[in-house]
Amino acid sequence: MKHRILRTALTGVVLASTGVIAAATNASADGLGATKLTTVNFVYDFPGPDMELIPIVVGQDQGFYTKAGISVKTLFPASTSSTSAMLATGAGDVGFITTSDMADAVQAKVPLLSIANYSMTNNWTIFAKPGSKLTAADLKGKKIFSWGDTWTNTMMSFVLKHAGLSANQVTIVTASNDTPLLMNGKIDFDTSTTNYAVPAIQGADKGATPVMFTGSQIGVPNIPIWVYAVTKAYAAAHPATAKAFLSATLAATKWAIANPAAAVNDFVKMYPTSGYTKAYSTTGWSLTIPLLKNSSGKFFTQTSAQWSTLDQGLIATKQIKTAPAPTTYYTNAFVPAQ
Amino acid sequence: MTTRRLLKAVLGPIVSLIAVVAIWQAIVVWGHVPSYIAPRPLAAWQAITQNWSTLWPLTSWTIKETVYGFFAGVVFGIAFGVVMAKVPFLAKTVYPVLIMSQAIPIVALALPLVLILGFSLMPKVVIVAWIVFFPVTVNVLDGLHNVDKDLLTLSQVLGASKWRTFVVIEIPGAITPLFSGLKIGATYAVTGAIIAELAASSGSSLALYQHAQAGQLNAAGVYGTTILMTAIGMGWFLLTLGAEYLCTPWRRRSVARRKWRGARTISAVSL
Repeated sequence: MKHRILRTALTGVVLASTGVIAAATNASADGLGATKLTTVNFVYDFPGPDMELIPIVVGQDQGFYTKAGISVKTLFPASTSSTSAMLATGAGDVGFITTSDMADAVQAKVPLLSIANYSMTNNWTIFAKPGSKLTAADLKGKKIFSWGDTWTNTMMSFVLKHAGLSANQVTIVTASNDTPLLMNGKIDFDTSTTNYAVPAIQGADKGATPVMFTGSQIGVPNIPIWVYAVTKAYAAAHPATAKAFLSATLAATKWAIANPAAAVNDFVKMYPTSGYTKAYSTTGWSLTIPLLKNSSGKFFTQTSAQWSTLDQGLIATKQIKTAPAPTTYYTNAFVPAQ
Repeated sequence: MTTRRLLKAVLGPIVSLIAVVAIWQAIVVWGHVPSYIAPRPLAAWQAITQNWSTLWPLTSWTIKETVYGFFAGVVFGIAFGVVMAKVPFLAKTVYPVLIMSQAIPIVALALPLVLILGFSLMPKVVIVAWIVFFPVTVNVLDGLHNVDKDLLTLSQVLGASKWRTFVVIEIPGAITPLFSGLKIGATYAVTGAIIAELAASSGSSLALYQHAQAGQLNAAGVYGTTILMTAIGMGWFLLTLGAEYLCTPWRRRSVARRKWRGARTISAVSL
């Protein structure tokens, strides 16, 4: 009996203490959460993380987003062509897509709006194996790798038109990985952007630099590749959040440029199982940095000229019939002052 | 089969197909689903008919991959099944490896196959065969293990050779399970072909066409391609079903047709 009373009393004390601790924890949590963060679902353009995500990672890890009153949650699409659809269905708020994805979205009457450029120049390139004697004039009859995404399809149309070739005069090869195919001679040319392909080829061939053909050599316009996009409805309903997102992302981008090693460390810390080596991400990020500013040193700012150049190219290569007004694609209204 | 019985057999699937299309239409219309998310059934159908000149060569290529891969898988599957049934030691040794082969993600297999075999039809055929052979092997093995023991004893008593026993008793005994494996393989074969096309393709393919349509937010094109892929799988399954119908007459009648009885009698006597 004595034991039972003691046990009941002990249980009461334990329960009471638990209640007090829980109440105290809630109170302190309420205190900390005084400034409620607005969640922004950011949809990347690839099913997994890679070094182009560094500005977002730095924004999260270095507290730039928290300071701006937002909490950014990164989502990865099921495929490289799902980001626009995720935005359109409301699964994401801000997306990372190519300018050609934007053109396709506008053609399909999907109400997307580009709110900032990520990169300012076109580093899409045709690569040949290190030491290869092939030139840009040797495309006819060759096997050319493509990821099958809209940007590569668009750029290949420019390349073929410039080379005076039809689609059936080359063999377009699509596979899950390009570098092993190039290094093993299964393809003659690879297509990718310098910041992705160069570190991959260097990693596969003891630092050797591939043979590269780019820009006017292959007839591709120098226009931005990647943009941050939202739906028109999101832009109208959450202008302050869109502004806060870009403002914090700009601060994070500048920080990542000034501290490239620390920025890569942040990426490796947040995504230790991304599948990319630190050396790959370091080289990739160093090759991404020069793409982020325009010739006036400005980040993010879009121009009507970039969109009309893309449209003209798409019309010339018969990918679209009519060009919408450039302002259909973009707004600089949310870009922070620089 | 009488016309009435044929109608009865076909009516059910047709009604369920109409129901699926009706539900699809209702969801899109009443749910106000935008056309870039999900098209109406008619739009998906039009995406096929209006682009048929582009789609047909791609579809026929996918059919070729499916059929070649299926037959390669069936040949290997039956061979493995028979050898494993006849050599128990081999069965114990090889069976775990066969199970392991199915645990390998097909996508991971694609790149090494491309590096070895290039971008031709061959890697796709290998991938489809890889998927198809396993259910065939397992079912043939089970079928051969479960042949009526009394029949085997009887053939032994009558002095039948091992080959004769195999041809007259064991093969017919394994046919029903074999067709179960073939039907599973027939449904998975087209999936294997599409995975193979996505993993590595030279030129265009049905899977890449669909990928491009998805990139352009052309939902009608995506759904239309899906319908074509489904049709290939269903068509191949129905052909397998037809082959099963022809190869297993004893499932419909207990007595052989009069014209075949003589041959059967001779076979039985020559046991």
